[in-house]
Amino acid sequence: MTTSLLDIRDFTLDIDTFDGAVHVLKKINLTVRRGETLGIVGESGSGKTVLVRSMMGIGPKRSRIMDGRIVFDGTDLSTLDNAGWAKIRGVRISMIFQDPMTYLNPLFTVGKQISDVIAAHHRATGKPKAGKTARRARAEGLLSQVGINDPTRVFDQYPHQLSGGMRQRVLIAMALTGEPDLLIADEPTTALDVTVQAQVLELINDLVRTLRLTVIMISHDVGAIAKVAERCAVMYKGEIVEQGLTKDILRNPSHEYTQRLLAAVPEIDEVAGVHSLLECEDPAPFESETSPAKPLLTAVDLRKTYGLMGGGTVKAVDGVSLSVMPGEVLGIVGESGSGKSTVARMLLRLIEPTCGEIVFDGSSITGLAGEALRRKRRDMQLVFQNPHSALNGRHTVGDAIGEPLRIQTAMRGRDIDKRVEELLDTVQLPKAFKYRYPHELSGGQKQRVCIARAVALHPKLLVLDEPTSALDVSVQAQVLTFLEELRGELNLTYVFISHNLAVIRQICDRTIVMKRGVVVEEGLTDAIFDRPQHEYTQALLASGRQTSRAALL
Amino acid sequence: MSHVDLTSETPLSFRERHASRIRQLRLYAHMFCGSFSSMFGLTLVVLFLILAAIGPSIVPYPQDTTGAVNMEARLLPPGAEHWFGTDEMGADIFSRVIVGARTSLWIGIVITGLGALVGVPLGIIAGYKGGWVRACIMRVTELFLAVPGLALALAIVASLGPGLTNCMIALAIVWWPGYVRLVEAKTLAVKEELFVESARSIGAKTPWILWHHILPNCMSPIIVKMSMDMGMAILSAAGLGFIGLGAPPPAPEWGAMVSVARSYMPDWWWYSFFPGAAIFLTVLGFNLLGDGLRDILDPRSRER
Amino acid sequence: MLSFTLRKLLTVVGTMLGIAVLTFVITNVAPGDPARLVAGPNATEDMVATIRTEYGLDRPIIEQFAIYMKDLLSGDLGTSIVSTRPVLDELIRYAPATLELVLVAMTLGVVVGVPLGMLSAVYKDGPLDHVTRILSISGVAIPAFWFGILMQLFFSVDLGWLPVSGRLPLVTRPPEMMTGSLLIDALIAGRFGTFQTAFSHIILPAFVLSFPCLASILRVNRAEMIEVLQSDYIVAARAHGLSSRRIVMIYALKNALLPTLAMIGLRFGWMLGSTVLVETVFDWPGIGLYAVSSALASDFKPVIGVTLLIGFFFIIANTLVDLAYAWIDPRLRRA
Repeated sequence: MTTSLLDIRDFTLDIDTFDGAVHVLKKINLTVRRGETLGIVGESGSGKTVLVRSMMGIGPKRSRIMDGRIVFDGTDLSTLDNAGWAKIRGVRISMIFQDPMTYLNPLFTVGKQISDVIAAHHRATGKPKAGKTARRARAEGLLSQVGINDPTRVFDQYPHQLSGGMRQRVLIAMALTGEPDLLIADEPTTALDVTVQAQVLELINDLVRTLRLTVIMISHDVGAIAKVAERCAVMYKGEIVEQGLTKDILRNPSHEYTQRLLAAVPEIDEVAGVHSLLECEDPAPFESETSPAKPLLTAVDLRKTYGLMGGGTVKAVDGVSLSVMPGEVLGIVGESGSGKSTVARMLLRLIEPTCGEIVFDGSSITGLAGEALRRKRRDMQLVFQNPHSALNGRHTVGDAIGEPLRIQTAMRGRDIDKRVEELLDTVQLPKAFKYRYPHELSGGQKQRVCIARAVALHPKLLVLDEPTSALDVSVQAQVLTFLEELRGELNLTYVFISHNLAVIRQICDRTIVMKRGVVVEEGLTDAIFDRPQHEYTQALLASGRQTSRAALL
Repeated sequence: MSHVDLTSETPLSFRERHASRIRQLRLYAHMFCGSFSSMFGLTLVVLFLILAAIGPSIVPYPQDTTGAVNMEARLLPPGAEHWFGTDEMGADIFSRVIVGARTSLWIGIVITGLGALVGVPLGIIAGYKGGWVRACIMRVTELFLAVPGLALALAIVASLGPGLTNCMIALAIVWWPGYVRLVEAKTLAVKEELFVESARSIGAKTPWILWHHILPNCMSPIIVKMSMDMGMAILSAAGLGFIGLGAPPPAPEWGAMVSVARSYMPDWWWYSFFPGAAIFLTVLGFNLLGDGLRDILDPRSRER
Repeated sequence: MLSFTLRKLLTVVGTMLGIAVLTFVITNVAPGDPARLVAGPNATEDMVATIRTEYGLDRPIIEQFAIYMKDLLSGDLGTSIVSTRPVLDELIRYAPATLELVLVAMTLGVVVGVPLGMLSAVYKDGPLDHVTRILSISGVAIPAFWFGILMQLFFSVDLGWLPVSGRLPLVTRPPEMMTGSLLIDALIAGRFGTFQTAFSHIILPAFVLSFPCLASILRVNRAEMIEVLQSDYIVAARAHGLSSRRIVMIYALKNALLPTLAMIGLRFGWMLGSTVLVETVFDWPGIGLYAVSSALASDFKPVIGVTLLIGFFFIIANTLVDLAYAWIDPRLRRA
């Protein structure tokens, strides 16, 4: 089949804002043939979401189509009225979304939501309305088609009772209700854990095969796109800079942006240049047991138990022991709910451990309180996952970086100002930034400000809690490189927490793998990645490798 | 702040250093001025404040506001002499309404101010501390909120005895729990923000965090509520005045004026119309102002 | 759900006791001298002292409190000085009139406010939205007592359409007391003429009482609808091809109804408080008017009785709102 199902010609779209019109999409040309799978790769702000939403007539409110058209199977979508859309939306073109929690109505059961979609489609297509039992049967059929084992039970459940992966399956089931010609997937795996991601991608591939679906999938994750799409387009600042067969683009990216983007993607099986270099210069002190160096931080048998509202307890962290040598980068990897963030906060005494012992720099900090603990905080700092929320929106960058100095030192006025400028210099930001507010900065710049704030007091230890997971890939690469440089410059020790295996591999000397509050495996990073011992580590790596570039070529 | 730059770059001017602040304020001003209802509210409030400030010295019959009797001129309809007509004592209603603005402003400031002064710190402490401190504060707050304000105020005034001061005391007593609930909820939300944890991780003490991080982020809803409450407090006090528990008769208090005027209905309609309209416009002004402030300060949390 | 309900009921009892204590504290710790107020401005010291002994005001505060709580728990709210009858009896006599008024007003507020709010949200910035915005902002700003007087002036005096005040004309024999609500009692007795008369009497006060409430329900529902209509799951529902009407009327409304419910509960309490004003304007023989006349006569026991009763009604209303919340929102049912 070679007929084009969707044909986008010179599509140009503006969005009106307070500061004037923004050109969100510029002369987009794209053709999708029946049975094809197309991926659209782009980072935040590339306009990819606006583009696919325009294909369904659910684009942003203040948008205006300036030029061009979108033709779907002979119909020009940009001229459709409500009645016309009713025959297409959800019936012939349907969509699955990024975060399955917010895209399901929390007040209705899964079954009710699917049944309503079925009824709406019957009405739109003029078919006789099916009875309640018929709709239920169809809904349960759809649920089992997307790999839900007990559709009868799930039918009567509410979204909050399901796991993330299940919710995404439910959303896919809803999208399949109308037996659509075209399925649009908007970052379908971004909000999910690695292992679940792999399953969902697998499911989409299955559906493409069995239902002969045409799929457009957008993602910032090149790996996920490559897993599903045979053809792919790269979007950058509202333009398609490159399109072609996915394999070709991955092998020989022609546009400069694509090259940069691909270079920035960390690879699971690639031993990163930076840290191996550092290792050569400075033979790692932890390699032999007899090394005279003492660990900077030791934690023994950390546990954290939370009481539940309705009685009972949850063990968030269940007996974790670890030690970090001076100058080392220790990675903690795990999926959501593994307790890795709780461990990070316990190490810094931001969360009180239920039991366990923490020794930092030769002295126990478990029992420290009040002023003594406050003093100790100078030497150990935390960098947060989400730089957007880690900075107080009402303080300027200068205030934010100067805050630790005001709190912990006797420095005042001019001295603080001078030190703030030095720190901005260290994190490679212009000095004038101290007058800016966080909302004026990009994600990468905000994270640099957070890091400047963390190193202001010359700490010995930095705990980095997913420091790059809220950032775009290209920014992530910059921040990671910068973190490596900073470590050498300031003589720091890192505890680096991430769910992203490739990032861990790139930056960490030694790694701990956590699952449900327990350490399942630990050792040198390369050893763990090359010869994983524990079953869970193996599964984790296998899922990760599925979307790695190397595996796709 | 030091103007001296470390490098040889030219020092930044005030305008350059505060460019972001200035841009934000201009955006606020633009949004506020663009809304007719906000500007209308602001106009009403400014007018009210001017009258409260200079009212007593510009009114045509100042002696009428302190209980002068002029039986020849009693219950005259509105006209050139007496714009709003006269009451049963022959006093000029226009003068009395204008002078009443000061009483109302005083009522509004005292009740709202006391309410916020007590409620905001309690709310922040309850929200941030948690545990039994929060439990104690919130239990008491909930008890106060469990009885409708006006009913509770009535009971308090009844036991204190009538009078304007007692009305204000009573309303202040029932007013603070609203602030506790608002600020506590906001604090609970702000507390979860990473920047609070970040401040703790650099060793900030609790008072520092409350003052530099929690309070500034709670300010928008507090300002909005205070603006709205100026109106609502005036309205409630007027209600107590109308019942007859407020200022005793010769004092020019709007609610009390409507109350006396009620026995002169329907033939002398202007007597109750103008003081009531003054209450309405003042409260409307503060409400519109608060609404406009909410739209620019807190666009996402409308009506919360 | 059952244990949820039981727990709620326990809270009701606890809160009631708390209100009783609160009422005692704020009326006794306040720096006024009740005996002097009762005796009046011209009383001699002896008279004040006699009254003090008579009311037990000379005893230690703890003892007074103990007596107050003991009486309260045995259902004794004291005696009114003016009418010399037990306060409880009088409350039972006056409460139905107030409840009738408040419930009619609340029904009016919800039935008009919710749909208007929904329509203003759907046709945001249209002509209807502008009208409802004026309505909703002036609604909460208008002094109820003044608005009531204006309504009387217009509808009763000028147009002569509706009676000025009261529940029934003096010449009309009230229907046999069954529920206390004249409307329902008239229907039960089959006296449709009386029903009409009673209905014409309740229109104005109910409208005046409901106006601010209608305004705020409208506003909340509008704001929530606007927010919900922008949410992800509504985008998804549109993408799945559901009709706009179904999305607005069922999917969005149910979500927007939750905060609206909270406002309804809040406004119910506000209405109960405002009855003291509206009942005064319309001579409506309910507990509000009873509280006002007692307060003016420095007769405390009825005022305290009314405060407790209004608090009780408000708690019941809030409990019903909580139950409705749990009924609508499945996420709350477990907690």
